[in-house]
Amino acid sequence: MVHISDGVLSLPVLAAGWAITIALMAAAICWSKRRRTSAEEIPKLSVVTAAFFVASLIHIPVGPTSVHLILSGLVGVILGILAYPAIFIGLVLQFFLFQHGGITTIGINTVVMGVPALISYGIFKAGNKLGFSRKGVSEGIFGAIAGGLAVALAVLFLVICLLTTGKGFSGVASLVAVAHIPIILIEAAVVGSVVAFLVKVKPELIPLGGARK
Amino acid sequence: MKRKRVFAILAMIMVLSVSATTIVSAHRVHVRTEIGEIGVKAWFGGGEPMRDADVTVYAIKEGKEELYKEGKADENGKFSFAPKIGVEEYKVVAESPGGHKGETVVNLTQAASPGEGTEMPLYTRVIAGFGYLLGLAGVAMAYMGWKMKKNYEGGIKRQVGNKEK
Repeated sequence: MVHISDGVLSLPVLAAGWAITIALMAAAICWSKRRRTSAEEIPKLSVVTAAFFVASLIHIPVGPTSVHLILSGLVGVILGILAYPAIFIGLVLQFFLFQHGGITTIGINTVVMGVPALISYGIFKAGNKLGFSRKGVSEGIFGAIAGGLAVALAVLFLVICLLTTGKGFSGVASLVAVAHIPIILIEAAVVGSVVAFLVKVKPELIPLGGARK
Repeated sequence: MKRKRVFAILAMIMVLSVSATTIVSAHRVHVRTEIGEIGVKAWFGGGEPMRDADVTVYAIKEGKEELYKEGKADENGKFSFAPKIGVEEYKVVAESPGGHKGETVVNLTQAASPGEGTEMPLYTRVIAGFGYLLGLAGVAMAYMGWKMKKNYEGGIKRQVGNKEK
C-alpha cells in the first residue's frame, strides 16, 4: 500500500520526491566514502536489501484492502545511513519485477519509506546511548520502537502525499492509516526480536550494538 | 427369433433415419447476435485481487479518450461493462484507495489480453531480484577490491621510492 503508482500524484510532488531522493542518496554515498565503508558491509547491504525487496510480497488482508510488510525499520536499524540507497535499490527492483509503485514515483516512494527509516535509526541510536543495563533488552525494545515508528511515519508521509492530490482523500487517508496498524505491530515485533537476536549472536551487524559494552 | 432380430434392426434403422432427417430438414436457422459484457479483472502483483477498486472506463474514439463509465470492482477485483456500439477500443483504469493504480487497453477487434497465467511466475521474479542484488554487490566488491589493490600498490611504490632515496 505504501507504494504510490504512476499518475496518482501531481508533477511538483513527484519532482520534489526525486530532488530529495537524489540529495539524500548523494549525501549517503559521500558519507560512506568519507567513512571508508569496509568491504564487509557490502554483503550486509545486499542481504538486507534482498529482505526488504521480498518483504513487500507478504500480504495481509485487512478489511477491504490488503497491506504488506515494509521492513524499512529493519533496514534503517541495520544499515544506518546506507538504508536510504538500500531502499532506493529495493524499490527499483520492486517496480521492475513486481510492478509495485511506478517509475516516476520511485523518488517520492523512496522518501516515503527511506526518511522514516533514517529517523527510526536515529531514535534507535539515541535510545541505545541512554542504554539499559542488560545487553539485548535495550536493543530489542528500541528496535521494536524503531520498527513500528518507521511504518507509522511512512504511512503519515503517504497520507500527506495523497492529500496533496486534493481528491478528497481524507476518508481514504484514515483507511490507509487504520489498515496499517497490524503492520506497525508486526514490524515492531519483527524488528525488535531480530535486533535482540543479532545483538546476542552477531553484534557487529548492528551499527552500535558492538560498540556499547 | 431371427425374424424378431431383423425387425429390431429395421426399427432401429427407421428411428435413426427419422432422427437423421430431422436434423437435415430442420427449420430455418436463426442466428441472433448478443453483445456480452466486457469483463476486466484487476489484481496486485502476487495474485491478490484488487478489491473494491475504483474502475474508470474511457472509450477511445479516433485516438481521443472519452469518459464512458465509472464503477467499483467487486471483491474479486472484477468489473464488467457493456461496450458501446461503434467503439472498439477502451481504456480501463483501476485505482485502489491508497495510491495503487493500473491500466489496460481493451481492443475488441483483437484477441483477449494475456491472462494471469502468462505473467512470469513470482518465484522467478524473486530469484531475478536476488540475482540483481548479488550482481550489484559483486560490482561494488570488485570496485572496492580494485581500489584497495591500487592503494596497496601505491603504498609499495612509495615505500620503494623512499628506500631508494
